[in-house]
Amino acid sequence: MIGIATLLAYALLAIGGFCAVVGAIGLMRFPNYFVRLHAATVAVIGGSVIPLLGLAIYSLSIPAGWDERALYFSNALIIAALIVLTSPVGTHAMARAAHRAGVPVEPKVCDKLEEASR
Amino acid sequence: MSASGRASGLGKFLLLTIFLFFIWILLSGVYTPRRWDEILTGLIASAIISAFTSQLLIKCPASRALNPLRWIRGIAYLIYYFLYAEVRAHLDVIYRILHPAMPIRPGIVSVPCELKTDFGLAAVACSITNTPGTVVVDVDERERKFFVHWINVTSQDEQTCRSEISKPFEDRLRRVFE
Repeated sequence: MIGIATLLAYALLAIGGFCAVVGAIGLMRFPNYFVRLHAATVAVIGGSVIPLLGLAIYSLSIPAGWDERALYFSNALIIAALIVLTSPVGTHAMARAAHRAGVPVEPKVCDKLEEASR
Repeated sequence: MSASGRASGLGKFLLLTIFLFFIWILLSGVYTPRRWDEILTGLIASAIISAFTSQLLIKCPASRALNPLRWIRGIAYLIYYFLYAEVRAHLDVIYRILHPAMPIRPGIVSVPCELKTDFGLAAVACSITNTPGTVVVDVDERERKFFVHWINVTSQDEQTCRSEISKPFEDRLRRVFE
């Protein structure tokens, strides 16, 4: 007998796998560095934070003592929180460094940062 | 250092110590007082780290963190952010990735931000970067402006961009951090 919590955990894990594959396809298809960062964000938030939330829910239903389940639950949540807090910093640092180094933004509609720094 | 300055320094120290000790308890999995040696080690370690870093990490008064309304608004923001903003942005970018014609109009636009505190500015920037489709490329701290790489530029006007990208985050985070 599978409970609702386990089904929800499986669903979150499946969504995470789907997001990771789509993020990889986006990395291959998108035309330049900056647009590829958006595909990488799909892979980070959808592909690792959501499965970690699913793992936290799943760990509540494993056959073990309450302290062991609480340990797995809280550790999964802390890892998810750390990824949410640190991944935008890394993405921002890479984007800023690439723009300063003159990586081409083509194709583009407009580039307000280049106009402002000129 | 004046008396009020010392009191606020103590508040910052206690706040960071409690936070670090809470993380230690969760990570170590020690929930019973029978293993008091591990709990004591954690308490001493968090106090030492907090004594060195609390003045560097916390710039605004520590009493702000004691207001429960701010915590409730922050949790409400997290629920809104992950259940609505993230889901909508993910579906939008996944659609653009998988569509055969790949309908993207990328570009860097400037978005003004009205929040005053560093925490608020950082929270808005992280929210923008963490939603797929928008990445903060640079920050103009003097004029309080973000330069955002946007996957679907519909307008180059600053106020239109603000209402499309950062207004929902800004309005909710203003009541959490300011």
